[in-house]
Amino acid sequence: MDKVKRKRDRLEMIYDILNIIRNHQNSIKPTPLLRHSNLSSQSFTEYLNELLEKDLIKEITDENERKFLTLTDKGFKYLEKYKLILGFIEEFEL
Amino acid sequence: MPPYQLNEPLRLFVELSYTLIVVFLCFRIFYKTEEIYDLTKYEGVKYFRITFLFFGLAFLFRFLSVFVLLMGITFDLDISMYLFRIFPLVFNGYFSTMAILSLTYSMIWKEFEMKHVLIVSNAIAIIISGIAFFSRSYNLIIDAQAVLLIFTIIAVYKYSISKRISQIFILYVLFILFWIVNLLTLGPQRFVPFEIQTIFQIISIAVIGIIYLKVSKWTK
Repeated sequence: MDKVKRKRDRLEMIYDILNIIRNHQNSIKPTPLLRHSNLSSQSFTEYLNELLEKDLIKEITDENERKFLTLTDKGFKYLEKYKLILGFIEEFEL
Repeated sequence: MPPYQLNEPLRLFVELSYTLIVVFLCFRIFYKTEEIYDLTKYEGVKYFRITFLFFGLAFLFRFLSVFVLLMGITFDLDISMYLFRIFPLVFNGYFSTMAILSLTYSMIWKEFEMKHVLIVSNAIAIIISGIAFFSRSYNLIIDAQAVLLIFTIIAVYKYSISKRISQIFILYVLFILFWIVNLLTLGPQRFVPFEIQTIFQIISIAVIGIIYLKVSKWTK
């Protein structure tokens, strides 16, 4: 059952990270995001890479060369559809 | 008898209508779940989607077999055995086996993670359709898929999250069961009379219709 929970938590974790970014006016630096997400540094890096790879977030650099993370349209869509996604997965026992 | 007069126009009409409805619903399910998969890249959703893609294709090839069977009877054509009878049989066996295996894996993957699942499924499907090709008979596909259905029931009961026979699982089992019954009508002997088969097809449409409505509820 742990394995099942872990996989379901993964969708939830992605939701939480995206939600943190959205709640910070859709712009947050990686370090505060790590702090807010309550993840270990290693897990955080894994999630970050996954989100970048899935095109749910993107990195932007300002004029002072500081890096920020921001949601893409797909990231907003994920947040918007999250409840439907969970409902679908539960309904069909996927 | 004129060469273009069908012996069983009603059967052809019923088969065509049935195929169009089921294929349409299967492909709609595949299309409607695209966004959820695109957003999540979730394994369960991936295998759920391809199940209905494969079932849609299997139903198309099944219709091709029925069509050739009916036209062959009517026109008494000397149609190439390989081209029109054997190839639909092979593709039918391949796509439907892939569909059943994908559906099973979509429900058990969390507890029963397997590497190279698509390669293994393809290998099983190719072996089944390969043997069907050499035996030139639907009987083997029917037997193999009946075994797969039993395997599905056991695997889902053992490895699914809920560990119970849920409503959605009953719908899946019924859909596969009616698929197998439909294949029986393509064998050399028709075990199922046309009227009974039509009733099964109507129930089968109801089953896929319910699945489609459930999908629609979450994919607005």
